Amino acid sequence: MSIEKKNQKLPRWGMVIDLNKCIGCHTCEIACKVQNDVPLGIWRSWVKEIEKGVYPNVVRAFRPTLCNHCEDPVCVKVCPVHASFKREDGIVMVDPHLCVGCRYCMSACPYEVRYIHPQKGILDKCDFCHFRVDEGLQPACVEACPTSARVFGDLHDSESEVAQLVSREPVQALKVDMGTDPHVYYIGLDQTTMEVKREVEFVWDK
Amino acid sequence: MGQIVYDVHYQTSLGFLISYYFYLTGLSAGSFMISTLSYGFGMEKFKPASKMGVVTAVLLLLLAPQFLLMQVAWPVKSLWHNFVYLNPLSAISYGAFLLVLYPLNSIIYGIFMFKDNKKWTKFFGLIGIPLALAVHGYTGWILALGVARDYWNTGLMPIVFLFSAMVSGISMMILMIMIRDRFFTKEKVINREILEGLAKLLGWLLIVDLFLVFCDYSILLYSGQEGQEVAHFMLFGRMAFGFVFMENIVGKIIPLIIVMIPKLRNNYYLLVLAALMNMIGILAMRIVTVYGGQVLPLM
Ligand code: SF4
Ligand code: SF4
Repeated sequence: MSIEKKNQKLPRWGMVIDLNKCIGCHTCEIACKVQNDVPLGIWRSWVKEIEKGVYPNVVRAFRPTLCNHCEDPVCVKVCPVHASFKREDGIVMVDPHLCVGCRYCMSACPYEVRYIHPQKGILDKCDFCHFRVDEGLQPACVEACPTSARVFGDLHDSESEVAQLVSREPVQALKVDMGTDPHVYYIGLDQTTMEVKREVEFVWDK
Repeated sequence: MGQIVYDVHYQTSLGFLISYYFYLTGLSAGSFMISTLSYGFGMEKFKPASKMGVVTAVLLLLLAPQFLLMQVAWPVKSLWHNFVYLNPLSAISYGAFLLVLYPLNSIIYGIFMFKDNKKWTKFFGLIGIPLALAVHGYTGWILALGVARDYWNTGLMPIVFLFSAMVSGISMMILMIMIRDRFFTKEKVINREILEGLAKLLGWLLIVDLFLVFCDYSILLYSGQEGQEVAHFMLFGRMAFGFVFMENIVGKIIPLIIVMIPKLRNNYYLLVLAALMNMIGILAMRIVTVYGGQVLPLM
């Protein structure tokens, strides 16, 4: 985690998702769709659901997913036209005027959170609702979450809830081995939600 | 352990158009190499293939980027954004330059060749070789830098691409020489010597290519979870027809047997068959490689 280093005066936005609180209601998913006008067929943030265990000992595990706003984002490195970029405060964004829709970043991001907008042909991804954040508001998903499972804030500010959760709780980020240094942390992340079930068909599909 | 109840679909990023683009640049780089054998390296017996080689190299390389542009959502914007907003860390940026420089150099090289100017032909031919290597090597490099995917992210990728480019280029030249000699010359005799030379070259390059595929897969099978799953998927899963049968048996092993046994290779029908099968096999390889890298979800 590289939260400590770099320019301490600027904020470093990040998110902590407490999966013990998550009830899998998909409100964040819908809020994001509405706020950002995300068309059918693509998502900026969603909740993956897994059923695990053997009856009668079964449980559902959830994993809200979004762009991890990596400190060392592969998507930014591979973009040939500087359309993907990282703001000083850590938000990874796409400039729609620069993007040419080559999709290279989609094949390079280890988290598969990038989509091509079906109508615009440019890249669409979570940007932490940067326009809300700039106005001092919370991202739509955070504000909509009924159980406050999602916590958003400045990781540089030791008073903020995110910074305290990250220092106090056992947190885990996704695929840290990719060297991307993701800045979305999970409390109580279940292993099954990270497993890739390639053989299993989605129940959803049937 | 668990059963996925809900997850969203990911989008595949690169499609068939990219496979065709890779295939055509490969053919172009391969035929360019053949054309430099006589002027650049003084192998006189390959001279009858030189002019044909350079003309096909140029034509194919004018055609190939069209597929790339069709894949890109904003083709016109990409033409100038690639130069104006260049990101030196991205493999695609270099491709934009190579796709301009390589055809230009090939055209100049071809003009000197048709004017019979040996000195300058050699000069531009030798400049063209690194360019041809780069223009095709970088396509493998693009995939290799898609770091999220174990199937692509290997140092072998650019080399595998180069060798498959050369074999498909040679096969194409064999076919073209036969057609030209048989139908478009006065004597209607096929130049046996050059075909023999190209067939032998094809054989050795196929051996290297098969060796590289073996290295790639033997290492994948012992690597991390994703690598193993991709390898199983390619060898025994849904891609087995494309990868094992089309790419390797049809595309490489049968042609290899034909071109390595003098009796079979001297039969023109079999040689045509070998060249055709190899060209189809390499097309299958491009599709399998582009598709196989992204077919398994990562998360
Ligand atoms: S999660 Fe993917 S899209 Fe988001 S910053 Fe990291 S590499 Fe880029
Ligand atoms: S799709 Fe857009 S953001 Fe992604 S690499 Fe291409 S130009 Fe960059």
